[in-house]
Amino acid sequence: MQTDRHQSICKLIDKSLAGDVSSQEEKSLRQHLLACAACKQYWDTSNRAIAGLKGFAFETDPNLPGKIFAALTLRAAQLETQQLSHRQLAWSYVAALVLTLAGSFAAMQLGDRFASAFSASQQQVQLGLIAIWIVPSVCFCLLLPTLPLMSKRRLHAKGLPL
Amino acid sequence: MTLAATESEPERIARGLRHRDVALLQTLVQQYQYRLVRYFIFLLGTRDPVDDLVQETWLRVLERGRSYDGESRFEPWLFAVARNLAIDHTRKHRLVSLDSDDNDEREAVSFSPVSGADSPFEQAARSEDAQHLAQSLQLLQPVYREALVLRFQEELSLQEISQVVGASVSTVSSRIYRGLAALRQQMDGGAHAN
Repeated sequence: MQTDRHQSICKLIDKSLAGDVSSQEEKSLRQHLLACAACKQYWDTSNRAIAGLKGFAFETDPNLPGKIFAALTLRAAQLETQQLSHRQLAWSYVAALVLTLAGSFAAMQLGDRFASAFSASQQQVQLGLIAIWIVPSVCFCLLLPTLPLMSKRRLHAKGLPL
Repeated sequence: MTLAATESEPERIARGLRHRDVALLQTLVQQYQYRLVRYFIFLLGTRDPVDDLVQETWLRVLERGRSYDGESRFEPWLFAVARNLAIDHTRKHRLVSLDSDDNDEREAVSFSPVSGADSPFEQAARSEDAQHLAQSLQLLQPVYREALVLRFQEELSLQEISQVVGASVSTVSSRIYRGLAALRQQMDGGAHAN
């Protein structure tokens, strides 16, 4: 019976040290420790072990922060450039899309006017616009999203960090 | 009242990380350098890869700092980043799994340096009690050492530790109890409880 009680108090001590007890449990534990030498010894040994953990002083490289600052500054600049090129890419994509739409609009709506101006049929003008305007801008739109991937592959081939 | 005056420390850090504020990172590097070194040593049981891992940790913080929301303390988030890098490192070098909770002695021995002279704990022990504990710590499973350092040196709560290690609070508690039991046995002059 006494052993059971002792074991349950030891468990409570472990819980208390782990920060897992209520204030009520903590209070009853403190009271018990005042009266029980065996549990008090368990408590003291545990606390000595914890205090022992604080008795380690690991050496650190005094040059390490400097190296880290340099690496951080370089990486921050790389990320900034990357972000900027992503933004430029997004704007290029928007521009290509607008050009495609404008080309389509011109081919559909203004074909007859161009036809009379260049003495050609409306169909010829539409085909011309599709060939020199719409197809290149659609290709540009489709190719733009693959550019970052291509640039990553190029960096990787050169052995540079992505 | 200015924004800076009303925001808490975690919010200030989260704002700085969102803007990739290198000056803030430099302050944090200084502030947490020793703590990260100590955490990695407790986690890995060796000193060799620690400086590289500390540097990697800060680069990861710079890159992924936007995922820190500033609603909870910075330390658990930082140690979780560090832990993931340590796991990657152990996988690359085929060391014992940091997620393993089993008590496989063979793995523990292959993970830890055999020679006592190489033990970072023996080299760093400054008090008599620490010297007693050094060998025991070297042989202890990494997950228990980790639980001990996070609870008793970093003074994180059980919830915060569970956030760092990605395990339940009850698992964290049991790791702390088992770690403490091993240390207590060493303090009593008994055999290792690993």
